[in-house]
Amino acid sequence: MTEATTTTDSAPSSPPVNDERLAHRGPVQQLLTRPEIGALIGAVGVWLLFWLVSAPFGTAGGTANYLDVAATLGLMAVPVGLLMIGGEFDLSSGSMTGATAVIVVLLSSDTAELGGAGLSLHLAVPLSLAFALAIGWFNGTLVDKTSLPSFIVTLGTFFILIGAKLGFTKLFTNKVIAEGLDRSGGYEFWDNIFGATWVRNGHIWENDGWSNLWSSRDWAWSGLLILGAVVLILGTMELAYARREKPNMGGYLIFVVGAAVGAINYILLLTQDSKSSNWIFGIITGAGVLVAVAGWCLARYQPAERASNQQERNPRIVQYFIAGLVAIVGAILIAAVMDSNNENRLDFLTGTPGRTVLAIGIGATGVLAVLAALGRVSVGYPAIGALIALIPGISYMITVQGARAILFGILAIAGVVVLSIAARRRGLAVLFTLLTAGAVVGLAFFIQSEADSRKLRVELFTALLLIALLLAASAVARLIAARRTSAPPPPVHGPLARQVGTALGTIAGLVSLILELADGDGILYSIIMAVAKGGIVAFAVFALATLYRTLFTSDESVGRSLVFVGLGSVMLGIAAKLMFITSEELAATRAETRFGVGVMLFLLFAVVGAWVLARTQFGNWIFAVGGNKEASRSVGVPAARTKTTLFMLVSASAWITGMVIAFRLNSVQANVGDGNEFRYIIVAVVGGCLLTGGYGSAIGAAIGAVIWGMITSGIGFATWNSDWRFLVLGALLLVAVLVNNYVRSQAEKVR
Amino acid sequence: MAEFLELNNISKFYGNIIALTGVTTTVNPGEVTCVLGDNGAGKSTFIKILAGVHQHDEGTLLMEGEEVRFNSPREALGRGIATVYQDLAMVPLMSVWRNFFLGAEPKTGIWPFRQIDIEGAKRIAKEEMAKMGIDIRDVEQNVGTLSGGERQSVAIARASYFGARVLILDEPTSALGVKQSGVVLRRIVEARDQGLAVIFITHNPNHAYPVGDRFVILNRGVSMGNWAKEELSQADLTQLMAGGAELEALQHELAQAGT
Repeated sequence: MTEATTTTDSAPSSPPVNDERLAHRGPVQQLLTRPEIGALIGAVGVWLLFWLVSAPFGTAGGTANYLDVAATLGLMAVPVGLLMIGGEFDLSSGSMTGATAVIVVLLSSDTAELGGAGLSLHLAVPLSLAFALAIGWFNGTLVDKTSLPSFIVTLGTFFILIGAKLGFTKLFTNKVIAEGLDRSGGYEFWDNIFGATWVRNGHIWENDGWSNLWSSRDWAWSGLLILGAVVLILGTMELAYARREKPNMGGYLIFVVGAAVGAINYILLLTQDSKSSNWIFGIITGAGVLVAVAGWCLARYQPAERASNQQERNPRIVQYFIAGLVAIVGAILIAAVMDSNNENRLDFLTGTPGRTVLAIGIGATGVLAVLAALGRVSVGYPAIGALIALIPGISYMITVQGARAILFGILAIAGVVVLSIAARRRGLAVLFTLLTAGAVVGLAFFIQSEADSRKLRVELFTALLLIALLLAASAVARLIAARRTSAPPPPVHGPLARQVGTALGTIAGLVSLILELADGDGILYSIIMAVAKGGIVAFAVFALATLYRTLFTSDESVGRSLVFVGLGSVMLGIAAKLMFITSEELAATRAETRFGVGVMLFLLFAVVGAWVLARTQFGNWIFAVGGNKEASRSVGVPAARTKTTLFMLVSASAWITGMVIAFRLNSVQANVGDGNEFRYIIVAVVGGCLLTGGYGSAIGAAIGAVIWGMITSGIGFATWNSDWRFLVLGALLLVAVLVNNYVRSQAEKVR
Repeated sequence: MAEFLELNNISKFYGNIIALTGVTTTVNPGEVTCVLGDNGAGKSTFIKILAGVHQHDEGTLLMEGEEVRFNSPREALGRGIATVYQDLAMVPLMSVWRNFFLGAEPKTGIWPFRQIDIEGAKRIAKEEMAKMGIDIRDVEQNVGTLSGGERQSVAIARASYFGARVLILDEPTSALGVKQSGVVLRRIVEARDQGLAVIFITHNPNHAYPVGDRFVILNRGVSMGNWAKEELSQADLTQLMAGGAELEALQHELAQAGT
């Protein structure tokens, strides 16, 4: 085997895991094979949709609102997702959340008046946890011992819990609600834990403007956002392009000059406010960024080779380009021709003709479906019938301005996507990328001149300009730097960075824990805050170490670290904006924005779940028992124990969710949580978990929960009729599953 | 001298069904013991006794001269007996390196942050497979994308890495094409050369004869005998397996029909 030895020769240090026979996949392609990609795209799309149609959705208050909905779902969806990956279902998980709450209230509330047992909460809360764990253990053991499908076993537990909840609540209280939690012994202590909230209105972070940049929230958060975006882009470039042996110092100089010019002009752009100055500073900022990118590429990456035969590789690039341009022109035409203030329905097909078309469509769908079932026509034909049936519906339901928005949106997005596909193809890629950037700039200015709302005029305009800048920058980079041909080696973090980060993070966490506890905050809240602060400190150390590795070592593996630092920094920036208020905002608002302990736990669950799945032995076992139970057992995985642990994990999370619900309202309806088990499952499936087990992601399940939350509360914010909610959710479920299915088939494909 | 693994008159009954009687053979490091038999001959029962899934009812099982009895697969694994099953050797949706270390993941870090040493695991998996002469492209590749022969190879490499002293292969070639079977047979020889005792279960004498040092033939739960390679030719083996006389008659008929 001679190939095996040649790889070791070419690598600079440490035996590489990579193989020269593997084509390197770029960062985007790698992302596209992740199980959560469907949910991620869905989340971005849904967010954009509601951000465009409703004013409060994008604010901190709106975010708190949908995160709250997402949290009560996601606290369960993450463990349910893990259980699904482990190959089992728990249909009792929904009613279990209510059961733990009912138990606590019934055990603790007053004996005489409310029909409770009058126990102290110090006893009642742990007892309900014990109950939940017992049910989880029972489910797991029964499934394992009998080898019955968990669907059946937990369906039994599901009905038992529903019946018991209702029966006992009525028996003891004569009502279908158990109340009076706030009058139980030990209430303050436990409310401090499960009722803890982060009140945004109580956390003021001033905007001191120029005088003190560090103490200004808006500078801090936008700074973190921009920094994160820049680092993210550098990381992607690092993953995409091949490193030089020795850096070119002149390149770095150009980079510094370009970046400085860009930054200074950007600040001037923000501080000045006249049309001409905006033009001047905007153009100089853009130019500075492009120069900086060019310098960076010159400094770090091998020069791109000019291959003459590349032009013939994709003859269809011109078609793509023309199609993209046509779509953009079409979008602009539609926006110009259709009336944006016309709230009348389209009404192009109503009355008898409309009903006739509807009947034809439905009839055709039926006939074609039968034919498709018989194998006479392909499966796509019934869909055509359904589309025909939809036409009168569109005519009846959609207004002129709605149609304008939808058509414009679809055409504009399709245009940009097709253009960037054209740009990605080799050949005249650089030229086409630049032309695409130009088209996007045109679109941006068109929107600015046409749109009515400030959101479109300013924010969408800016976003489009940034996209154009990004496209132009990628063209510049491609002109200068050569693509990587092999995957970068796995990242090696120096032991120093790791130890210092862990140590400082632990210290910061402990100090924060003591301070919070001394302040009288609840234990859970203090722990979460301590974990968060310790995490931020450790992250900062890691970010500095990454910066050092990027600038002063020839380490080829920094790409992934940079991407991680960039994403983290963007998230920190968003968190700063969401969690802190400025006194101006405080003066302008009357509503209180709060993030309950449930939201914090939900985020923690998502992160810990992802870590457990990807990095720990238990996570490996979860995949294994879900993928092939017998095989994993035969190599020594304790399959029964793994599954039972998963069931108990789900029921323990149900307990946490139940406590959060109980301490929010201090009373519990007997039917709380019933039926939610399907939502958990749906959300996990949207997030990329495979119904048959063995594949999926915890982060995906969490994103699925956020999508659900965004749709549920977004429909309210947009003042749409909430009757449509399930239609949207159902459509979303189908789309997400189809995308996930496609992604998985791609992931399994042999290259 | 005591044999490494010695089976004396091993029998197994399921209620009133006699699944296996009187199996006697020896297994030694650096040797391949082939167990041959047609469908229903008791091959699976034989493996399951050695792998600890079932326990024998009669006879003795000696390992290094000491009488042993495996009550669970884990116990057999603990004594260094690794079994590679034909169809359930791997988890198809998991990557090669995750499968390689499944159940015995190398770990790093202190307790609450204890995690799999992923880079180390990938490196070792790649190296170990290279040692067995398996040149895998990408250890991140899902096992489901590997061919049948490659999967068997990964399972064999895994077993030998985790200190298996006895490697039981359950029909590793039965689902494979000619070329793939060749690959697996080569792995068997390599495992043998590394000093493992190999038990190779098959119903194909053409696969068994070239690699085997010792042959046990089972027929309808009864051991037909236990031969060293010198005592037997390939033709004998085929004949014994097919039930001797019947096949001879068939051959005779076919030969006549041909002329």
